Amino acid sequence: MTKRKNISKYLAYLFLIIVCLIWVIPMIFGFMTSFRSQAEVVNEGFRLLPVDWIVDNYIKILDNTSSAPILRWIGNSIFISTTHTLLVVVIISLTGYGYSRMRFKGRDVLFFTLMGISFFPNVVNIIPMYRIIDILGWVNTSWAMIVPGLAGMGNIFLVRQFMKGIPAELDESARVDGAGDFTIYFKIILPLIKPVLIVAGLFSFIGSWNDFLWPVIVYTDVKRMPVTAGLLLLQDIYGNYQMIGQLMSSAILAIIPTLLLFLFAQKYFVSAINLNAGIKG
Amino acid sequence: MNNNKHSHWFFIGPHIILFLVFILIPSIYGVYASFTNWNLMTSPTWVGLDNYQTILFNQDSSFHLEFFNGLKNTLIFVVISVPLMIIIPLLIATAIEHKDVKFKNFFQSIIYIPGLISISAAALIWSLIFNSQLGVMSNLFGSDTVWTATQPYAWMTIFIMTVWGGIGGNMIIYRASISGVSEDLYESAEIDGAGPIRKFFSITLPSIRFPLIYTVVMTTAGAFNVFGQPLMMTNGGPRESTSVLMMYIRDLAFGSGQSIAGIASAMAVLMGMIILIISAAQYYVMNRNSA
Amino acid sequence: MKRKLSMITFVIMTVFLLAGCGSDENVIEFWTPLTGEDGAYMDQLVEDYNATDPEYPVNHVITSDLYTQIYTVLQSASGIPDLTLIHADRVPSFAKNDLLVPMDNVMSLQTELKEDNYLPEAWNAGIVDGTQYTIPLDIHGSAMYYNIDLMEEYGVTHWLDDDIVTIDEMLELEGKMAEGQYVVNDALLGWVALAQLQNYGGDIEGSNGEPTVNTPEMRSVIEDLRSINDAGLMTPFGEDGYLMFQSGNVLFSTDGTWSRLAHEQVEGLNFGITNVYSHSADIFHNRSSAHLFSMLRNEERTAEKEAGIADFLEFMRENSIDWAEAGQIVASREVVEADDYDQFMQSFYTKNEKEEDSLFIYTYEHYPYVAEALDDYIADIVHGEMDIDEGLEEMQRFVDDRVAEGDAELEDAADAVEDFDDEQ
Repeated sequence: MTKRKNISKYLAYLFLIIVCLIWVIPMIFGFMTSFRSQAEVVNEGFRLLPVDWIVDNYIKILDNTSSAPILRWIGNSIFISTTHTLLVVVIISLTGYGYSRMRFKGRDVLFFTLMGISFFPNVVNIIPMYRIIDILGWVNTSWAMIVPGLAGMGNIFLVRQFMKGIPAELDESARVDGAGDFTIYFKIILPLIKPVLIVAGLFSFIGSWNDFLWPVIVYTDVKRMPVTAGLLLLQDIYGNYQMIGQLMSSAILAIIPTLLLFLFAQKYFVSAINLNAGIKG
Repeated sequence: MNNNKHSHWFFIGPHIILFLVFILIPSIYGVYASFTNWNLMTSPTWVGLDNYQTILFNQDSSFHLEFFNGLKNTLIFVVISVPLMIIIPLLIATAIEHKDVKFKNFFQSIIYIPGLISISAAALIWSLIFNSQLGVMSNLFGSDTVWTATQPYAWMTIFIMTVWGGIGGNMIIYRASISGVSEDLYESAEIDGAGPIRKFFSITLPSIRFPLIYTVVMTTAGAFNVFGQPLMMTNGGPRESTSVLMMYIRDLAFGSGQSIAGIASAMAVLMGMIILIISAAQYYVMNRNSA
Repeated sequence: MKRKLSMITFVIMTVFLLAGCGSDENVIEFWTPLTGEDGAYMDQLVEDYNATDPEYPVNHVITSDLYTQIYTVLQSASGIPDLTLIHADRVPSFAKNDLLVPMDNVMSLQTELKEDNYLPEAWNAGIVDGTQYTIPLDIHGSAMYYNIDLMEEYGVTHWLDDDIVTIDEMLELEGKMAEGQYVVNDALLGWVALAQLQNYGGDIEGSNGEPTVNTPEMRSVIEDLRSINDAGLMTPFGEDGYLMFQSGNVLFSTDGTWSRLAHEQVEGLNFGITNVYSHSADIFHNRSSAHLFSMLRNEERTAEKEAGIADFLEFMRENSIDWAEAGQIVASREVVEADDYDQFMQSFYTKNEKEEDSLFIYTYEHYPYVAEALDDYIADIVHGEMDIDEGLEEMQRFVDDRVAEGDAELEDAADAVEDFDDEQ
C-alpha cells in the first residue's frame, strides 16, 4: 500500500515538474526579453539570458509621464478593478443565493434565460452601450468600467453551482429555528462560500484589469485610462513590433499588481472550509 | 416566519436591473441590427431576413463562405481546445492535491501567472519562440518548418498558446473543489482496495460535478468567442484555415472598409444561437448523468 | 464584514461623484489614431501650438481604435470631436455619408491653406466631387529599405544607381543567395502589389465605378511577384520578413516610411531608402496614404471654434517639420522645401518631380475593400499556396459582395439623410 502511494507521489511530482518547466520557460524568455535591445532580439535568436543587460526599455516607458503615464494608468486600474471586484462579490453572492436557495416561481427558467441571453457575442452592442453610458454621464469616468461588468452571468453561475453543493438540510434546520432568508444567507451560506467568492473576485479583478476592447471606446482622457487600454497607445500604429523589449517591459510593469494580488489571494483559495460541503458521493 | 413572498427580489433584483440595462438592451439592439442594413454612419434600414438568407443560403456570396469557413474553424478550435482546457488543469489540480505533494501554491502560481499577461505580449513571446529563424523550434530541434504558416502546426501554435495562458482559472476551481472532497470517502475506498485511478473516477469526479459543469459550459462559450490568439499568431492563415468566426464578424463590423454591421450582427446572432444550443445540451447531459 | 464592505463602497462612490468631469467649451478636441512614437511627436506639436497662447487651445486625444470610436460617438450624437485626423482612404465614404464639413470656411479664414502650398497628391486626396473636405498633414506609405552592407557583399549596389530596382535585377541573384538570406521580404505585400498595378497601368475602379480586382494587369503584378518567390528570393511564407530584415538577412524590406524609426533602433543595421521595386526601369510607384485633418459634422462646433481650427492648421502648415521626425513625408511645401528637411531619409520621395509623382494615393470609394481583399489573399497567392485564377476570382467576389451591401445601404441612407436634413 505505501509503496503504491509512493509511486503515485513521484508520478505526481514528475508530472508537475514537467508541466511547470514547459510553463515557466516562455515566461522567463518574455521577462528576459524586456532587458534586451532590439538588435539583440533580432540577431541572437532564442536564448534565455540577455547578452547585454539593459534597463533602457523600462526607463523609456517610465520616463514618459505626459502622453503615457503608465504608473498613473496602473493606479487607475487598481481603483477600477478593486471597486469592481468589491461590488461583484456583493452582487454575485446575493444573486447566487437567490437563484440556488430560494424558491420562487420560474426561478430556473429566469436564470437560464438570462444565462442564454448573455451568451450572445457582443459586436455592435458597444454602440447602444456607449449611448447608455453617455446618458448616465459616465463617459471618461471609472463608472463606465466598473458597473457594466456587474451584469455578467459567469460568476453568478459559478456561485450558484457551488451553492448547489451545499446540502439543503442546513437551511431547513435554520428555517425551523425561525431564521429568514437574510439570516440564512448571512450566517450560514456566506461563510461557506467565502473561498469561491475569493476565486470569483480574483477572476473579476483580472478580467476587468485585462479588458481592452471597451475602455478603448469610453476613454478619451489619457490620464483617466486603465493600464491595458493605455498600453495599446504605446504600440505601433501599423502593427509592426517597433520595439519588442519595450512591449515586454510595459507588459511586465502592468502585471505586477495582479501578480501580487494573486500571490496574496491564493492562500485563501484552498482553505479549510469545505467547498463541496458535505457532499456524500 | 418573516419570509415574505417577494423577498427573492431583494436578492436577484439589483442584478436584474443591471442585466436589463447593460446586457439585455444592448443585445436587443444587436438582434435588431441583424435585421438591418447598416454602415454605422447613417441609421440602420430594415431588411427583414435578408442578411440571414444571404449568410445561410446564398452559396455564391462571400458572406456565406466566410460564415461557414469561420464556423468550421471555430468548431475545430472548440472541439480540440475545450477538452484540453478541462483535462489538463484537472490533471494538474489532482496532482497538486495529492496528499504527499508539497509546494502546492508554488506549482499553482507557475501555471496561473501566464493568464495575467496581456494577450499581445503573450502572442509576441510565442511568435518569437515559433519564429523559424530565431525561435526554439529551429535552434533546438532543427526544424525549418514555418509553424504559423503550415498546417497542422498553425493550429498547434494556437492551442499551445491558448492552453498556456488559459488553464489557470479552471485549475484553481478544480483544486478548490478537490480539496473539499471528504477524506473519509477516499479512505473507505482504499479499504475496498481501490487504486488511484479508480478513486479519481468513482470519487473525485462525481464529487466535483457542479464545478465541472460550470467549467465545461463556460470554457465552451469562451472558446466560441476566440479571436485574439489566431489573429495574433497566424492572422487567420494559411489560406484562411485558422480564420475563426469572431475574426470575420469583427472585420465586417469594424474593418477597414465601410462597415457591414448588419451582416456582422446576423453572424453574431447565429453564433449566439449555436453557443446556446451547445451549452444547454452540455448542461442537460452532465446534470442528468451526474444526478 | 458586510458593514465594512458597504462603508468602502460608500466612500468610493462619494469620491467619484466629487471627482466628476466637464469638458472645456473653449478647447478644440482633436482626435488622432497616432499610437506609438507618432503620438508623442504630435503631442509635442500640439504643445508647441498651445504655448503660443491661442484663444482655442488644442487637446490631442490619441485613440487606438479611432474609427470604431468615431462610429460610436456619431451614433449617439455626443462627444463628437472638433477636429479629426483621418486616413485618405476614409474620405470618400465619409463624404458620401455626409459626415464631413467642407473646409471652405477654414480655407477662407487662413488663406495660406491652399492647394499650392501642399503636395498635390495629399491635397487632392481630400477632394470629393469638387469639394475640399480635408487639409493634409502628411503622406506616408510604402518605402523600400535596403541593407547597404549586404548589397555590397553581393556586389549589387549598382542596382540603386537609377533609383529603381527592377524585378529582372533581383532575379539575377537566383541561386546565388547564402542559406537563410533573401533578396526581398513580403512585408506590406498588398501595398507593393497596388503600386505595381499602377506601373502596369491598371486600376481598381472600372469605367462605371465598379471595383475591378480580377484584371489582366493585376494578374501580371501577381505573376511578377510569384516569379520572385519561385526563384527562392522572397522570404518564405509565414516568416517574419520584417524581423529578418532587421537581423541583416534580407537585402530589401518593403515596409512603410514610418519604419525608419524602428530600423534605426537596431544597432549595426546600415540601411538606406529607395523606391519600391518595379517590373520596368521606366516606371515606378509607391503606394501611399495620407493623414488628413477633417471636421466631422457636429452641431456644437461654433464659427469661432472653426476660426481656432484654421489657426491651428496654419500653425501645422508652417511648423510641421517636427512631424518629419516621425518618418512621414510632410505635406506642407514650406516644410518639404526647407533645407532642414533634407536630413530626413524620407526627403528622398520629394527630391524631384518624378519622385513626387510616384507617390500614389488611391481615392476610389471602395479602395478599402480592395486593400482588405489583397491583404487577406495576396500572401497565399504569391507564395503559391493558392492558384492565381482562384485567388483573383475570390478577391473579386470578396469586394463585389461588400460593395453590393454598401450600395443597397446607400440608397436607403440617401432617403434617411434627406429626412434628417428636413428636420434641421
